[in-house]
Parts: sequence; C-alpha cells; structure tokens
Amino acid sequence: MIAIAPVQDEMLCSGHAACPGCIDALAARHILAAMGPDTMAVIPPSCMAIIAGPQPMSSLKIPVYQPTLESSAAAASGLRRALDAQGKRDTQVLVLAGDGGTYDIGFQCLSSAAERNEDILYVCLDNEGYMNTGAQKSSSTPHFARTGSTPSGKLSRKKNMVEIMAAHGIPYVATASASHLADLRYKVEKAKAIRGTRFITVLIPCLDGWGLPDDAGLTAARYAVESGAFPLYEIEDGARVTLNVTARPRPVADYLALQRRYRGMAEADVATLQAEVDAAWEALERRAAAGAAAPA
Amino acid sequence: MNSIPPIWTTATTESIRTGTWRAALPRHVQASSPCREACPVSGDIATWIGLARERDFRGAWEALTRHNPFPAIAGRICHHPCEAACNRAGFDEALSICKLERFVGDLAIERGWAFEAPTVEREERVAIVGGGPAGLSAAFQLRRLGYRVTLVEARGELGGLMRHGIPSYRLAREVLDAEVARVVALGVDVRLNAKPEAAPAWAELRRTHDAVFVATGAQRQKRLPALDYGQPWVADGAAWLASANAGEIPALGKRLVVIGGGSAALDVARSARRAGHEVTLLALEARGQMPAQREEVDEALEEGIALVDGAMLQEASHAGGEVRLACRRVRFVPGERRGQFSVVPFADGAFELRADAIVTSIGQDPDTAALGDGVALDGSLVAVDAQQATARDDTWAGGDVASMARFVTDAIGQGKRAAFAIDRALRARRGEAPAAERWRPGPAAAIAIEASVPLPAIATHAYAPQARAAARRLEPAARLASGAEVQLALDIEQALAETTRCFSCGTCIRCDTCVAVCPDLAVVREGDGYRVLGDYCKGCGLCVKECPTGSMDMVQEVR
Amino acid sequence: MDAIAKSARGATQLLTGNEAVAWGARLARPQVCPVYPITPQTPVLETLTAFQAEGTFDAEIITPESEHSVMSACIPASLAGTRVFTATASQGLLLMHELLHYASGARAPIVMANVNRTVASPWAFWPDQTDSLAQRDTGWVQLYVESAQEALDSVIQAFRVAEQALLPVMVSLDAFYVSHAMEPVDVPAQADVDAFLPPFAPERRLDTAQPSSWGNVVSQDMYYRHRQAIEEAMARVPALLAQADGDWQRRFGRGWGVVERYRCDGAQAVVVTMGSMCGTARVAVDDMREAGLPVGLVKVRLFRPLPVAALRAACAGVRDVVVLDRNHSPGAGGVLHQELRAALYGTTNAPRIHGLLAGVGGVNVPPRKIAEFVREARDSEPRPESVWVR
Ligand SMILES: Cc1cc2nc3c(=O)[nH]c(=O)nc-3n(C[C@H](O)[C@H](O)[C@H](O)COP(=O)(O)OP(=O)(O)OC[C@H]3O[C@@H](n4cnc5c(N)ncnc54)[C@H](O)[C@@H]3O)c2cc1C
Ligand SMILES: Cc1ncc(C[n+]2csc(CCOP(=O)(O)OP(=O)(O)O)c2C)c(N)n1
Ligand code: SF4
Ligand code: SF4
Ligand code: SF4
Ligand SMILES: [Mg+2]
Repeated sequence: MIAIAPVQDEMLCSGHAACPGCIDALAARHILAAMGPDTMAVIPPSCMAIIAGPQPMSSLKIPVYQPTLESSAAAASGLRRALDAQGKRDTQVLVLAGDGGTYDIGFQCLSSAAERNEDILYVCLDNEGYMNTGAQKSSSTPHFARTGSTPSGKLSRKKNMVEIMAAHGIPYVATASASHLADLRYKVEKAKAIRGTRFITVLIPCLDGWGLPDDAGLTAARYAVESGAFPLYEIEDGARVTLNVTARPRPVADYLALQRRYRGMAEADVATLQAEVDAAWEALERRAAAGAAAPA
Repeated sequence: MNSIPPIWTTATTESIRTGTWRAALPRHVQASSPCREACPVSGDIATWIGLARERDFRGAWEALTRHNPFPAIAGRICHHPCEAACNRAGFDEALSICKLERFVGDLAIERGWAFEAPTVEREERVAIVGGGPAGLSAAFQLRRLGYRVTLVEARGELGGLMRHGIPSYRLAREVLDAEVARVVALGVDVRLNAKPEAAPAWAELRRTHDAVFVATGAQRQKRLPALDYGQPWVADGAAWLASANAGEIPALGKRLVVIGGGSAALDVARSARRAGHEVTLLALEARGQMPAQREEVDEALEEGIALVDGAMLQEASHAGGEVRLACRRVRFVPGERRGQFSVVPFADGAFELRADAIVTSIGQDPDTAALGDGVALDGSLVAVDAQQATARDDTWAGGDVASMARFVTDAIGQGKRAAFAIDRALRARRGEAPAAERWRPGPAAAIAIEASVPLPAIATHAYAPQARAAARRLEPAARLASGAEVQLALDIEQALAETTRCFSCGTCIRCDTCVAVCPDLAVVREGDGYRVLGDYCKGCGLCVKECPTGSMDMVQEVR
Repeated sequence: MDAIAKSARGATQLLTGNEAVAWGARLARPQVCPVYPITPQTPVLETLTAFQAEGTFDAEIITPESEHSVMSACIPASLAGTRVFTATASQGLLLMHELLHYASGARAPIVMANVNRTVASPWAFWPDQTDSLAQRDTGWVQLYVESAQEALDSVIQAFRVAEQALLPVMVSLDAFYVSHAMEPVDVPAQADVDAFLPPFAPERRLDTAQPSSWGNVVSQDMYYRHRQAIEEAMARVPALLAQADGDWQRRFGRGWGVVERYRCDGAQAVVVTMGSMCGTARVAVDDMREAGLPVGLVKVRLFRPLPVAALRAACAGVRDVVVLDRNHSPGAGGVLHQELRAALYGTTNAPRIHGLLAGVGGVNVPPRKIAEFVREARDSEPRPESVWVR
C-alpha cells in the first residue's frame, strides 16, 4: 500500500460551498494543513474564493484576504511586507489562486513579485480554465479542450507556467497533484521551509468544467500524472530539475477518455496531443538527467 | 440581519450543514472478500494476512484457526480455490494465500502455540464418527464451544486420508501429527480402533450423546469394470497407497500403469516413482481437466512420470510376461455434478500400452450401509442440507461421506458448519438463544455486510505491481532420492512481501485514505473504525472510490 | 547638517512640493510604502528611497511593476494594521482605478499623494486635475493643496483623518506648479509630529493571532449596509479634518481649513477653485480688492466628501460665483462647477454660478485673466454648462 500521510492540524472547515467531490477544496485542505496556523492566505476571485465562505463565515481557520482577480502576488507582497514591518517574519503568506488569476490576468504582478523574490508561497490551483465564471478557457487550458469560449476545442497549447516561473530563478517551483497527496504535502512542506518566492501549481480536475463524475476527480488527476500530461517535477533555483514521478505507464488517450471536455476528439488530434506530451516529457527527462549529472 | 457584520468574518462555515445536498451516503463496512467466498472454510483471509503483514503472527494464526485448526496442513495440500478467486489476479497475479497459510501454520508448530481452552464447558455430548479432517474440524469447533466430544476412529491413528492417502512428500507426518495433537489437546475424548459396525452400535452412540456427526469419509474404492481385480497384476490405489504410506511397497514389477486423474492417482503414481517404478499415468481427462491440482501434475512430470491423458482403458490382458492395455483416445465431457461425466471416443484413437501391473485410483464411494434408520441417501452419499443436517434430527454428516467435493478443506469447512449447526440445535433444545455468530470480530463503527468486494471496488492504484512470491520446490532428483516434502516454504521476507500484496478486500486497514480524500472533512476516525459525518458529507463518493480495501460503500438516501 | 538632526529640531528647508510630500510621508512614519515612478511624481519616490538609503526612513519600500500592483499591495498591508503611503500621478492613478474602489471598500486608511497631470491620450505632462477628479466616486477622501508647505502638512493630517474615519485619503498637488516649485518649507520635528499622529492600531486587522478574513462574498443586505457605513464615515470627514487642522494649527501655528475663505467678507463675487490655481486667484483677488471690487476666493481644500455646508456658508450672500476648473469631464464640463451647482442648488438666494474651463491641459491662467473672468461673469448671465475660456 502506498501510504498517505495522516491528516493533522486541519485548517479548512467543513460546511464550505465547494461542489461535491471538489478537488480544489481537497487540495486546499492539505495545503493549508501543511502550512499550519501561522499563515495568512490571499485568495483572489476563483472557485477557492467561494469555498472560503460567505460573509460572515470563513472555511479557513487562518486569516484570508481576498484581493482582486489580477493582483494576488502584489497583494501578497504588500501583506508580506506589512508582516515584516511588524516583525512577523515567520508568518507565512500563502496565495491560493486559480489558473486564470495566475497564468493570465495576474501574471504581470506575479512575475514582478518573483523578480523581487518576495517571500511568499504562491499556489496555483490549476483547473485549466475560468471555472468560477462557468468554464471558459484560460492560457492554462490544454490544446483541444472544449470550454465555453472554445466550443470546438482550444487551438493553442497550455502555457508552460512552470518554466516561466523557473526562469525567474526563484528558489522553488514545482507541480503537484491531489492524486499524489503525499507528494503534494511534501512539496508544500518543503516550500514552507524556503524563503523567497515559491511557486507550486497543483492540477485540479474540475468536475463540472472537465465533465467528470463526482467521485472521479482524483482519478483524473492521477491519469494526468500517469500519462505524462501533467508531470510532477520540481525546479530549484531555476536550474535543478527533479522528476518526482518517473514512470509514464498510460497513454494520454486514457486520460482524455475520462473527460467530457475532450469528447468527440479526432484521432489525429489525440495523436497530436500525445506527441506534444511525449516531446515535453522527453525534454523534461533530459533536463532532469542533466541536473542529476551536474555538480550540486 | 443587522447584526451580521458586512466585513470581517466572525465565524466558521461549520454551521452550514452541507449534508443536505447529498443523495447518497457512504458507510464504513466490513465486507467479505472473494477469497473468503471461495474458501471452503470461509477463512478470514484478509484479516490474518493483515495481521501477518504487521508481523503479528500469533494474531494471524489465531484468526486463521478460528475457521481451520490445520493451517500447516491446508497450507500444503489445500487446492486453494481462494487463489483462483483472488482479486489481485485481475491486477497482476493472485496472492500466494496457501503458502502464506503454511508459513503461519509452520510458525505456530515451531513455536508450540496451543489453542486456548474453551471459556465455558457445556453438559451436552457430541459423538463424532471418523477422525479425518471433517471429524477433527467438528471436534475442534465443538470443543471450543464447550461441548463434550467423543471422537470414534476405526483406525489406529487419527487423520483419515490425510494420513493413509496423502503421502508424506506432500504432507510431512510431523506436521500432521502436530496439528492433530493440538486439536486432541483441547480435550477430545478419542476412541481409536473403534467402529460402530452395525445399527445397534449407532443407536447406542445416539443414546449416549446429544448429537452425532458422521464423518467416515469415502472408503470404498471404485473399480474399473474392464479389469479383473483378482489378478495379481491389478491393484486398488487406496490399498496400494495405504501400504506404501505405511512403508510396505507391494511387489508388482517394474513398470506400472496408474489409472486415474485425481490427487489420489497422482499420489499413487508419484509414490510408485519414489519406490523405483517406471510409471505411466492414464487419465480419462485431458491434462487441463484433471481433478488433480496443476502443480501435482507438473511435479509428477518433472519426476519422470509419463502422462497419457484423454484416454481410456478398454481391455487388459496378460501375455508373454507382461500386461497389455488396449486403450483409446477419448474426449472427456464433465457432467452436471462433480463425479459425473461422459466420454466420446475418437474413431482412430486406439493404441496399446505395456506394463507389469495396473493400479487404479478412480475414486471412492462412502460406506453408508451401517448408519442406521432415518439417514437418507443421495446416490452414494449421505443426503445433507446446507447446514450438514441429515434427515435425522440428531445426526449431521460432512466430508467425503456426504459430499463430492473431496478436498481436505471442504471436509474441514463442512465439519465447522456442522459444529455450528449442532450448537444451534442443542441450544435451541434448551431454549437458549443462538450464540452470536459474527464471522470475524471487527470495529464497532463498521457495518458488517456479507457481500464480497469485487475488484472494481478496490482502489488498486494504491498498490504497486509486485510479482507473486515464487514457489520453490525440491529438485526432482533430490525429491525422488529423499522422499522429502516437494514444496518448500516461503521464507519470512517472501512471506512479508507477499502479505503487502493483499488488497485486504472488505477489511479496513486503517490507512486513513477515506479521511484524507474527503474534501468536506466528513470522515473521521473513531476508535478503531471510521465515521461519516452526515451533517457535512455531500455524497461525492471519493472516500468510496479511493478506499484501497473496498471498506466504504454508498447507500442511496431517500429524503 | 544631517537629515536626522534637522528633523529632530524642525527647521525650514527649501523644498519642492514633491520633496515636501516625501518629508510629510517620512514624518508620518508609514511602515509599508509601495511606489511606482511617473512624471511628475518621480521625485517623491526618489526622495523616499534616498531617505531610506541614508537610514532615515525604515518603511518597507516595494517597487512593483505597476501602479496597479502598488495599490494592490497597499490594501492588505493596511488591513494588516500597518500605516501605508504611496504616491502617483495621471496614468498611474487611472491604472489604480479598480483598486481605489477596493481600498475604500476595504476601509483601508491608505494615504496617497497624487500629482495632478493631464491624462492621455494624447500624451502630455501638464498640470490638470482630471486624473484625480475622475476618481471622485471611488470612496477616497480628496484634498487639493496649493503649496509645498500645505502638501507636507496635508500628508500628515491625512493620516490622522484616514485612520480615524477608516477611509483612504488622496492628497493632490498640481504638476510642476506645486510639485516642482521650490519654496521654503517648515519641516516639523519628528517628536512634534509623533505627538500629533498616534501609531496606527486598528481594532480589526489581518492577524494570525485572531484569525478573521476580509473580502468574503456578502448578501445584498450586507452590501447595502456596508455602503451606508462608508457614507457615514465620509460624513464625519469634514469635522475630522477641521479638528485635525485645528490641532495642527495649535501645534505648528498654521492651518489650512476645510474650505478656505480668502477676503470674502462683503464679497459680491467669489472665485472658487482648487490647488495651485488658488495661489493665482489670491493675487487676482488682491488686485481686484485694490481696485475696489468686492471679490473673494473660496479655496476648496477638501473636495471629497464635498463640504457642502461650508461651501453654502462661504457662498451665502454672494451674487456671483466663478468656478475655475483645471479639469475636464467630457459632456459635463468642469467637475467643480457641476459639484458646486449641485451643492448650492435649492439654497435661498442661491448665487449665480459661472463655470469656466480655465487652465485645462495646464494652460497658463495669470491673475489678470482671472480678474477678467470675474468681470465678465458679473456682466453676463450664468450658463448651465461650463464655458471654455483662456
Ligand atoms: C490419495 C489421496 C490424495 C488426496 N490428496 C488431496 C489433496 O492433496 N488435497 C485435498 O484437499 N484433498 C485430497 N484428497 C481428498 C481428501 O483427502 C478427502 O477429501 C478428505 O480427507 C475427506 O475427509 P473426511 O474427513 O471426510 O474423510 P477421511 O479423510 O476419509 O476420514 C474418514 C475417517 O473416518 C474413519 N472411518 C471410516 N469409517 C468409520 C467408521 N465406521 N467408524 C469410525 N471411523 C471410521 C476413517 O478411518 C478415516 O480416518 C486426497 C484423497 C486421496 C485418496
Ligand atoms: C478584473 C476581473 N475580471 C473578471 C472577473 C471575473 N472572474 C471572476 S473569477 C474568474 C475566473 C477565474 O478563473 P481562475 O483564476 O482559473 O479560477 P477558478 O474559478 O477556475 O478557480 C473571472 C474571470 C473578475 N473578478 N475580475
Ligand atoms: S487480495 Fe487478499 S483479500 Fe483480496 S481476494 Fe486476494 S487474498 Fe483475498
Ligand atoms: S480508506 Fe483505508 S481507512 Fe478508510 S475504510 Fe478504506 S481501508 Fe479503511
Ligand atoms: S468523500 Fe466526504 S463528502 Fe464525499 S462521500 Fe465521502 S464522506 Fe461524503
Ligand atoms: Mg481555473
């Protein structure tokens, strides 16, 4: 049996408004538990902001500041500096933002915060679309996926945010998936111990937006990792690449077949996507190998 | 309304009862497993493997022996239908359940573990006739329930076919002796060399006991009509084996043809091989259809036995100092019930075999002549119901005498079932409520369900593929020379590794996955079980889907 | 003389308006200071960073990629309970627009200096108050200052008012005329400012010791009540400012008022304007008074909330009110003109209001011109729309 770390120090409360089976809430639950009580969260408009609760109730046991959609990293910077000014340097500032708020509208201030190496942990809850507004595409939406704004499938590929963030040379960049909870917890804990800008993007299958049954969120997340469509890896100091799951036992087609957003996809398109995934995977393997070969 | 502050939160969402959203509610269950369903003794396999995994071998042995007092024996010679049913087979390979059982059983013998004395002693007496596995199993269970048990055995030693049928290269005598002795040590009144020969003897037994369990096995050897058993070159398998097992090999010449396709025929053939014979095995069934276990056939071939399968003897004659067997290739068609079949001869299938003697081992029928009035028959067998009850309300029967299953563990299972049936009947006679019968102790929070957990209910992704423990056996030359046990035990590393392969179907392993995967924090650990918080559970089913043991299921709710 | 010694004692220094703003900020001891450069505000930023480099300013200075991020950083920093200062101008202010609403909704008492500059397009760098007046509905308190001294004093007063009302305050100074003009400025001693401005210690804040969250979705009712609460806070501002200014006056010997009436006694006409135009108008008023014309100046220092009562009082009994707008709201004309018309509407013997779009785009309006405008106004019928004049 592959063990899951026991859950302690819950920082998320029951009674939140997430859809049944929501992986956003599940991932947040584990991230928050790993972060612990001396943490402040910044949550921009997104599903997570709704999950955070209707006034006057909060589903998070830590203080949350909800900024505007495009300003999470800037808001987190302000909060960080306020805490620093108050001498609260150990208090963590955690962003829980959607992919829209990260890859798209909030990208500019995120890049700036990373350039300044602000001491924040920025977690992108990447459900590959604007789900809170009813599932439209973001630049994180993968090639061929159907959304409200790409009804016949997205024409362009998913933006490689991980590489972009790594290119800032920040100390820690990683991908994670709720299907690999132990790995997710490990990464959050690892990131927590690092100072500076840390960026983790967590794949969040959206049941409604991707077209999945209520109990299939973790299965989809797992297939994404197992097919290499969403590899789990870390990039430290912009250079050292570690591939956390090195096996890729599943064709991308398995992953696609689970989801309604890829329904009716042409076989040639499946092959194209597979080729894209293969190429990205191989590039990643090469970089991981190069990183392992290089002196530490 | 005006009291609610419009900014800054003042409470948590815990006051919001999201449980009202759902249509189905998960529950924490304790379910059966396919291996247990297939197991003739309904062994609590998932539990004892789980205990072994945690290195609680004593606990494993206790869980094992709740259902079967002979794990070291069964771990050697059981036909292990559990493995054919094992969910893991659909993932990579079935668990090596039988070998694990042997591992635990051997450890118990090595450490000298004994059964605890019954917690209560009861007045009622039960007579058991026949000291084979069926009788011994019933004796064991009845003693544990506190009954006074008289065990009547015709022969000079207990064990039945486990002793005078199954040879020691498959079941070492020390093992047999140790496990039988442990049952007797529970306080069974054993009467050896005693046999109720005729109706009055049975009547006396019934008079002096509150219930009788008939477990006399199937002693009458079936014979081939084409053969004259009066000839010195024709022998009965059972008699041949009983002599061989007692160390007296009948002198029949060098070349033997053994006729039969079951374990008994294989044992005759292989014992003869060990005694230096050249052996040809003539089986009616095609190799894959033979009732003997596959390993037995493989091992026999390794040992140099020639197999002629899918063929029948038509006529045998003795000429020129040798036996000539006129045979024909046939297609074997199994019948509705075990033991029934038909054969379709191939037109051009005639051939001849030559040998010095023929030994037949084609099955046995019970000897039911002396059982007394009121015990109805079903063909050659004593007729019993699902609780092993005969037509007489004071008599139960099990094992080969009442079943065509003809396996040791089937006999053990029937003995166990009869024991519980007798217990219920005797309690009922006294107006006592039946003893609470839970097939295994489990966490209070879990709801016990009888249905077994199918493979799709297991979150198999939680397990890494891992090859089944490799079976090891003695080299053929060494086997033939020493007569030692062919199949070797798993070592502790192998055994422990094997335990980790078990999906623990229907048996919670307290991994906390259900707790960890709930987005609504609606599963909580409670004591040694788990509870779903109906106030918050939204019924998504993740806890059910992700449980690696199938210990959560979903029930629709009507609101 | 080193800066610390200077500030401890208080001293007169030759400062530009921007430097005076920076000094005001420094004396208010903000803890977080996100800032982004834009002409003509840049010297504010550079003076603050220079202060920090010399060790006299220990705020956390954040230099993000945009004014948008500046304001985004200001709000939670303020909600965390730190004093926050920033400065911007023109396009920078416009880029902040969404966050300006956000800040007031958050009841974050941020103080921001805005150097009034034309808004693009086309590109221009002249004094014009359209940038800040376009933010009048964002829930910020707005002050317009006339001089470097007033700029310094107003920044400090603004913190006191902001933190009492829990509303953000914008202090606007005209590009170049104020921002870059150098004048002798009395820089108060730090201890004296500390006595005037207590540390910021809000009751509710983002604090892991008392976890409470800000920004969760509200019901219609909560939203309604929240806006009401903001309005109530706004209503308190004129009095809070008057108090702060009065206290300042007692401590430092000068005050600026909420609405300043300059030589208005017996005036038949008043010029009403904001910012640097007030300086020019003062000269014009002096000239006209000298020429025997009963003309005064009403300086609107507090524009948001509009001090309606004070304006009504200032204009009572006056025949002609001449509003000089150095701003332009297309389709509406001068913003102050429209605001004043609304403020005076329905008062008994309401004065005649003449709205003049004078100085839009930084066009020079000398005192002579102002006198001309007043005379023309006296002799003509007021028009509902603003009139382009130069
Ligand atoms: C050669 C051989 C090999 C086998 N190998 C296997 C194997 O590998 N695995 C497997 O699962 N099964 C095997 N079997 C089948 C298995 O041994 C039997 O199905 C099983 O032993 C039946 O148990 P039982 O208790 O019903 O009868 P038995 O084992 O036959 O025991 C009956 C006992 O009753 C005694 N008895 C009979 N009549 C009387 C009487 N009137 N009064 C008192 N005592 C009486 C007998 O002496 C005997 O001890 C084999 C059978 C044979 C013949
Ligand atoms: C400036 C701005 N534009 C648009 C919106 C509307 N809006 C709210 S949430 C959202 C989508 C967010 O998508 P993402 O960040 O991926 O989060 P998700 O809802 O998928 O969790 C949008 C477009 C907004 N709040 N602010
Ligand atoms: S995996 Fe384990 S519990 Fe499940 S059927 Fe196989 S042996 Fe039994
Ligand atoms: S998930 Fe683990 S702890 Fe929960 S019921 Fe299943 S086996 Fe038991
Ligand atoms: S995971 Fe939680 S919410 Fe979903 S069915 Fe199980 S208990 Fe209910
Ligand atoms: Mg999204």
